[in-house]
Amino acid sequence: MSSTTRFVIFPLGGERYALNSSQVRELLMPSRVHWFPHTMRSLEGVLVRHGTVIPVCDLGAAFGASKARSVYLVAQCRYAGNLETVAIPVEGDCQIVQGELGEAEEGVTFVTGLLRTPGGTVPLLDLERVVSLCIQPSSRMAVEAGR
Amino acid sequence: MATAKENEGNSFFNLRKQTAPATTLPVILFSAGGSRFAVEASEVREVRDYDEGTTYGKLKGPLPLDFAFQVGLGRGILTRCVVLKPGECWLGVSEVERIATLPRLVALPRIFQGAERHWYRGLLLLEDEVVPLVRTDYWRSLAAAEEPVLGGRE
Repeated sequence: MSSTTRFVIFPLGGERYALNSSQVRELLMPSRVHWFPHTMRSLEGVLVRHGTVIPVCDLGAAFGASKARSVYLVAQCRYAGNLETVAIPVEGDCQIVQGELGEAEEGVTFVTGLLRTPGGTVPLLDLERVVSLCIQPSSRMAVEAGR
Repeated sequence: MATAKENEGNSFFNLRKQTAPATTLPVILFSAGGSRFAVEASEVREVRDYDEGTTYGKLKGPLPLDFAFQVGLGRGILTRCVVLKPGECWLGVSEVERIATLPRLVALPRIFQGAERHWYRGLLLLEDEVVPLVRTDYWRSLAAAEEPVLGGRE
């Protein structure tokens, strides 16, 4: 099985991952994250963009804490049965590439495939699985993320 | 190979406008635990000094809810009470700041699936700030579930 399409490659936790471009809505420069009291682990708050709010999802629980964030990758994924838009802070340059998608090696977590590009191979991130793992209601009354 | 930043102007990267309900109702802004919140002004019966509320403790009456504590911010510094209509729910808060008109209300993103869905009706986009709008029916029901105070509280 193989197909050629566009992908966005981005750094996360010291590695580079890819997402299908159809999942990526936008790349945003770092801006103010608005925090308010809530109970969801790994949600830092929201970004305001053109009158809409976008939850910021820090995937540090899965990939380690990020350093200085250089861009927010705004992507769509399914969460609890709904199609959600989330902003993921990443720490470096993003690229749009064309490549051929192959199957992932067995036993690799959070990866659904392997992207082959002229520059090498990049794992395709299983965003839904990562987000499902990271974003959970806290057992505490509220998370003071980002305070 | 183009960088994503170079392609920001392409329709492929444009975030589609989401529908967002707007409200023209005035809201009262208050602070609790260092954060700012809003409540619809039409839902508020009155604002009292907290001391005034608690000195009525010799009478049978509602015990103010520590709003900051209820939303996980720890024990708040309580100086005011926001009394919700009809008058049985008293929210203890740090300060009542002002009335704001014409705020824009957007839904709380569905990915917030915890207790915050009970606490808030949505998020107000207010100047350069995002302020949760409290869900008054929830706070009334919470106050109603509190044990009745028979007097003598400090």
